Amino acid sequence: MRAVYENRFSELEPLLARVEKPTRYIDHEWGALYKPEAEHRCVLIYPDVYEVGLPNQGIAILYRNLNEADGLSCERGYIPWVDMADEMRAAGIPLLSLEGAAPIASFDVVGFHVPHEMACTNYLEGLDLAGIPLYAADRGEDDPIVICGGPSVYNPEPLAPFFDCMMIGEGEEQIVEFCQRHRELRDAGVPRAQMLRELAKVGGVYVPSLYEVRHDEPCSAHGYTVPREGEDVLPIVYKRVVKDFGATNPVPQAVVPYMQIVQDRLCVEALRGCARGCRFCQAGMTYRPVRERSADQIVSAVTCGLAHMGYDEVSLNSLSTTDHSKCAEILTRLNKRLGDTGISISVPSQRLDSFGVDMAAAVAGEKKGGLTFAPEAGSQRMRDIINKNVTEEDLERATRAAFEAGWRRVKLYFMMGLPGETDDDIVAIAELADHTLEIAREVVPKEQRGGISVSISVSVFIPKAHTPFQWCPQLDDAEVKRRQQLLFRSVKNRAVRIHCHDAETSLIEAVMSRGGRDIAPLIEGAWRRGQRFDAWTEQFSLERWEEAAADLGIDLRATAQQSFELDWRLPWEHVSPGVSRGYLLREYRRSLEGITTPDCTRESCTGCGVCPTLKADNVLVGERA
Amino acid sequence: MMTASEPTLFRLRVAYPKLGRLKYLGHLELIHTVEQVVRRAKLPYAVTQGFSPHMRIAYTSALPVGTSSTAEYFDVYLTELIPAERALAQLQEAAPVDLRPIAAGYVELRRPALTAEINEVHYLLELQPASGTSVSCPEVAAIADTWRSEGAQIPYRRGKKTKTLDVSKLLKSASVAPSNTGALWLELVTHCDNDGSLRPEIIVAAVDQALRGLDPGVDEDIVSTGIQSLTLFEGYNVERRSQRIADEAGVAHPLGRELEVPAGSLSARMASDALSNL
Repeated sequence: MRAVYENRFSELEPLLARVEKPTRYIDHEWGALYKPEAEHRCVLIYPDVYEVGLPNQGIAILYRNLNEADGLSCERGYIPWVDMADEMRAAGIPLLSLEGAAPIASFDVVGFHVPHEMACTNYLEGLDLAGIPLYAADRGEDDPIVICGGPSVYNPEPLAPFFDCMMIGEGEEQIVEFCQRHRELRDAGVPRAQMLRELAKVGGVYVPSLYEVRHDEPCSAHGYTVPREGEDVLPIVYKRVVKDFGATNPVPQAVVPYMQIVQDRLCVEALRGCARGCRFCQAGMTYRPVRERSADQIVSAVTCGLAHMGYDEVSLNSLSTTDHSKCAEILTRLNKRLGDTGISISVPSQRLDSFGVDMAAAVAGEKKGGLTFAPEAGSQRMRDIINKNVTEEDLERATRAAFEAGWRRVKLYFMMGLPGETDDDIVAIAELADHTLEIAREVVPKEQRGGISVSISVSVFIPKAHTPFQWCPQLDDAEVKRRQQLLFRSVKNRAVRIHCHDAETSLIEAVMSRGGRDIAPLIEGAWRRGQRFDAWTEQFSLERWEEAAADLGIDLRATAQQSFELDWRLPWEHVSPGVSRGYLLREYRRSLEGITTPDCTRESCTGCGVCPTLKADNVLVGERA
Repeated sequence: MMTASEPTLFRLRVAYPKLGRLKYLGHLELIHTVEQVVRRAKLPYAVTQGFSPHMRIAYTSALPVGTSSTAEYFDVYLTELIPAERALAQLQEAAPVDLRPIAAGYVELRRPALTAEINEVHYLLELQPASGTSVSCPEVAAIADTWRSEGAQIPYRRGKKTKTLDVSKLLKSASVAPSNTGALWLELVTHCDNDGSLRPEIIVAAVDQALRGLDPGVDEDIVSTGIQSLTLFEGYNVERRSQRIADEAGVAHPLGRELEVPAGSLSARMASDALSNL
């Protein structure tokens, strides 16, 4: 029997006094939408705690669109922190939604957001707390349809066995169509198996149970996935894309949290997509084409959104906001409007040139905290390999301009373990950091030099599906540690602070990025050994993952470090963001030769295939600088 | 800091409750939320000058997480004089139901801060005896009376520090009445000043121990950690129901008048209890 949709907050309330941050669980925020009378209920769960999940813009968009649709409703869910999860299990209380405080298992559709690879054990934690079978194959007629979607579904296979449907691409239109269709099928009494076949016809929906893994053609040990014999489904599920981005609501955000959380501010998505074509960057491939909102739309969205929500900060979000063709105009107009209200504007991800610094200066006012740049690699040779179209002079100009404009703290992001990397490239990171500090000391007046801070943050390169580096291996974690030591030794100036990402977490992230359906039992094994919240350093334990892998005969390092032959069928090629295999291959070959490729929003088409395949186009509202 | 060149400011005092689930908001979460309410209400609030400008606003003392209230206040400085009734209506429109303001009025700019002025705080507690135990009102009243007459000093721990609750100084009166559901209503009138204030949960824990024949805080530790786990009571609710300014001349309210008791509060429940007993 389907769990009953009823409010069970009174059972949860006695636990609130005993857990950290009870505000995570109380709901009733300003702007929360609640449609208890709706005929179809969906709950969208972010696979982490409330304060991490609440700012998520993807869920905010779907939450609004579903609640605005006739007869449909959407509530929110999060994974309770370990203290609360343990209390709930001890008290026999299942995972509840926020708005209705109703059991997750009582909803028609249960959707999980897939923000990144390291959330993998939390889907199982959530399903288990909800009392829903972990594997799609074990679910019956009374169980909800369990779906997932988000930026990290482009290698769906390691998660595929846990989900009935996986939503590929932009969900704002798709989720409404999906729930409407599900409601019709439910009302017509269509049995689950048939229902899934029908739902697979909604654009961008991948139903893993209708596909099977094969090893007949050249491929890795993880195989490749094709439609199951006799199933009438598409061999490649292309992502959904919103063609008229300007027609979508620029302020989908509804809920204003009580908790003070990191990204607690109004967010306006100024543009979507980035065509700079960095070869390691999955988002740069999967969010295409580039679509800008008009300056008028952005300015009025900010004004209305602030008035309605009461925030004192607004962020203009996108993969690369300073690339917006009207960026300077928008910031000037906003500064004029917001004047002396104490409201601040933030623009994430600075462009590495003096324009980027000008834009940062335009929003910073007197308050110049830190400025972050992402050169990604230390040497020009390596930046050409990854197609980070930034020169030594750009870097120098940007950091010099930053210190001249009054910034004292500069942070530089790099990656380690990129294809073709040598010790010289690591030393180049150190030299760049040292050089940045020298510039600072040269530019900053003597009496202010005490405030200077240069720090570098170095992550480990993870080869991601549907990028030109998808065939490349991840660097061995022991070698990562050696290169990290080399970096520490090579930085001459003790004042440069160095932060390196954990090689062990990166190993599991690579397993999830490169593995196939065979990896699903590994996630289950790690979860059964107590793994949850793997994205939290203090919760991550490589030992448990290694035990789980040993149990299943999986070699974690082989999975992360195997390089794929260029003619192999890859584990993820049955879903696609629209970039063609030919383009990725061409980009990979160009990287080997150190040849860069321009940005199609500034120069000519690079033939990535997205526009013709998805029947969409770049939409720019002006000339890009 | 006021200087001659600054424009005239107007100090609007607003009374609001903290009810229902929102009693679990921490103090920082609460003030963060109140500032959002002021911005949503589009009041012409003043902003501090300097490196990091922020709203000019001040609050009453922090409530422990889990304690509700019918008598919280904030003072927000406005750059324009707008009718208090209109400001109140706009704030009500912009606030979550459980924090919806109940009164507003202008007060003198030179008056001391709320936290400096308020020196008498009233609490209402509902104590639910554990099943199988019986605790009578006179027993509890007698304990409080003894503490007050003997000038009891109750030791308790807060973090790593050991502190002492000076009952005769901080507890002005305590009264006990039965509720219709078998619980006890305990009303505390407490004194607070710069040197300290009484946390009601310490009294609850001490009553629980004294009823068991223990010397409170001596025979057994009392740890000030928000909501207490008790032996003779299976649970309790606490509400701050009044904050006042007492001096030789008498007692005044921060807005010059007693506030209405909002529906859904513990105080409203006790009032309806009393009515049904008439």
